Amino acid sequence: MQQVSEIIDYCQTLYEDLSFAAAREWKAAEQGRKVVGYMPVYVPRELIHAGGMLPLGILGGGEDLEVIHGDAYYQSYICRIPRSTVELAVSKRLDFVDGMLFPSICDVIRNLSGMWKLMYPELYVRYFDVPQNYKDEIGGNYYVHELQELRQGLEGICGRTISDDDIRRSIAVYNENRRLVNAVYDFRAREPWKAPSWHVYLLMRAGMILPVEAHSQLLQDYLAAAAADDQPMRDNCRVILQGMFCEQPPLNLIKSIEFAGCYIVDDDCMLVGRWLLRAVPAAGDPIANLARAFLKYSTETAAKYEPDGSRKGRYLIEAVRQRGAEGVIFAAPSFCDPALLDRPMLANALTRENIPHISFKYAENSGQMQPIREQAGTFADSIKLWSEA
Amino acid sequence: MAITAGIDVGTGAIKAVVFEVENGGRGEIKWLSKRTEKIRRRDQHKLAHDTFKDVVGEAGVTEGDIAYTATTGEAENLAFATGHFYSMTTHARGGVHLKPSSRAVLDIGALHGRAITVDGRGKVLGYRMTSQCASGSGQFLENIARYLGITQDEIGPLSLQADDPEKVSSICAVLAETDVINMVSRQISTSNILKGIHLSMATRLVKLLRVIKVTEGDLLLTGGLALDVGLLAALKETIADFKIDVNAFSHPDSIYAGAIGAAIWGAFRHEKLAQLGQLAKAS
Repeated sequence: MQQVSEIIDYCQTLYEDLSFAAAREWKAAEQGRKVVGYMPVYVPRELIHAGGMLPLGILGGGEDLEVIHGDAYYQSYICRIPRSTVELAVSKRLDFVDGMLFPSICDVIRNLSGMWKLMYPELYVRYFDVPQNYKDEIGGNYYVHELQELRQGLEGICGRTISDDDIRRSIAVYNENRRLVNAVYDFRAREPWKAPSWHVYLLMRAGMILPVEAHSQLLQDYLAAAAADDQPMRDNCRVILQGMFCEQPPLNLIKSIEFAGCYIVDDDCMLVGRWLLRAVPAAGDPIANLARAFLKYSTETAAKYEPDGSRKGRYLIEAVRQRGAEGVIFAAPSFCDPALLDRPMLANALTRENIPHISFKYAENSGQMQPIREQAGTFADSIKLWSEA
Repeated sequence: MAITAGIDVGTGAIKAVVFEVENGGRGEIKWLSKRTEKIRRRDQHKLAHDTFKDVVGEAGVTEGDIAYTATTGEAENLAFATGHFYSMTTHARGGVHLKPSSRAVLDIGALHGRAITVDGRGKVLGYRMTSQCASGSGQFLENIARYLGITQDEIGPLSLQADDPEKVSSICAVLAETDVINMVSRQISTSNILKGIHLSMATRLVKLLRVIKVTEGDLLLTGGLALDVGLLAALKETIADFKIDVNAFSHPDSIYAGAIGAAIWGAFRHEKLAQLGQLAKAS
């Protein structure tokens, strides 16, 4: 059996590699292989996989990429992920990518899709829109149409028809991956001292670059190794992290929060693997099944439109109860409209339920962790020493 | 009764204590042992573990007898700890333990100065820290002592002998060091230089107190510089100059305040975990 440290070291190598060598190697291993990049928060990776292509999560340049050209494309009051993503492209780190999907998350990412079309007219570039209306006959029909268009676009890249059977097989593969991703999250919530959040984070990041089958195997190996790893439980408080669904936090930020005395028992980083809450039926019309899954049982988050204002924040309160969390840390990227505009409503919902919460902002290249340690440390102390529980 | 240990890993020294605590800190709190180790470029984690072992041995107990090992300061990832508390939380509790009437604590360590207001239970009500610059810190004073060719123990008594102190830059350690070099070349006495530095530091610290609205009551100095009699005197003078009704005190064990607070909060958590039925997992 592999050791936890071996698995995490491997994931960290993938995480730090801004040339995406693993994806390049996958592509080079067989002639005709194609890679399709996608940005946060959600795209139906099943369709890419069904075309025999590799879905590649592009989550910005992280803390180690020096952004030189990217800053010229955006105003100073825009978040960092589009700048560093442009930097990745301009510096030819994404020159092996055959198509790019920009999901509907905010105006900045929508604009980025337009820039990509201008910069790379030979590439398949799609702004992937999702419904804001969850009725079958309105949002449902719209989304089925959107998925069909995406399917046709992807067929143009892989050069073959993507059949219903192809999609059904991919749905089954991703169902298994989702099951394992959820199993890791559940394991961490149960025994957070055995699954530090920076481990879990790196594991999920590996899923952005590895083929899904390899990622599922990695998750399985980790679960076995971590369960056997005898780590002592520390007297930490249990918190949920919110607001990290698009621009990713530096790894040190996650470590700092844990070192400061908080076990992170849930988070919303990399929601693509957890967007659909149940297994998608692998039988029947696969496009209709994917559309129905999005409409009826996809995750609630600040990144998704909630038509019923009275339900705002309910998912977070339920997550607190379900995970046995004692507080919520809102950590959002600077200038992230979806996260920051929702934060007051979510915070109010928590306050009404007497759930402690704090908030701060970060950028993917934030280096100074002292203020974050300070905030998280005092938050943990206030829960441990002064909460009524 | 619970036997608990507190370990405060600072920038310059590691402080460790062992206590026997009754009723989660609400009853009798009995000292069993205490120990300080200067870090002096040694491996912090190893030294912390060795200091812990030593202080436990000096308490006449075994590691197995320790119900809760609490860390504070830079000791967040010490593997043998049961839990960690942020240093502000521990200095607040330690300060109230050493001087129960104190409603404000000034923690002056090697790198930072921190003003904290507390209630009678040791709960932090407000705080403010010095900025990144080191000119209000123990490290700066240590460097100056080295330049002046005196030991750290001589700083306080020499400062008390000053008759015409000259203030240094209170904003920047680099500028302050330049000031000191100029003073030496102008043949200002060591006593007056040290007193000038103490007054500059005191001004910064009293401003912190003012920001968190400490205007009356007892104030306890904690941290590595708490026993510097020169700094305490300068602080009292500056408090008088600012016309606030605050009484500044130090305590022979002020340097242990963080470790004391950690040990007492550890006892509190030990009791709480027992009530929650989570003791077996977390100890």
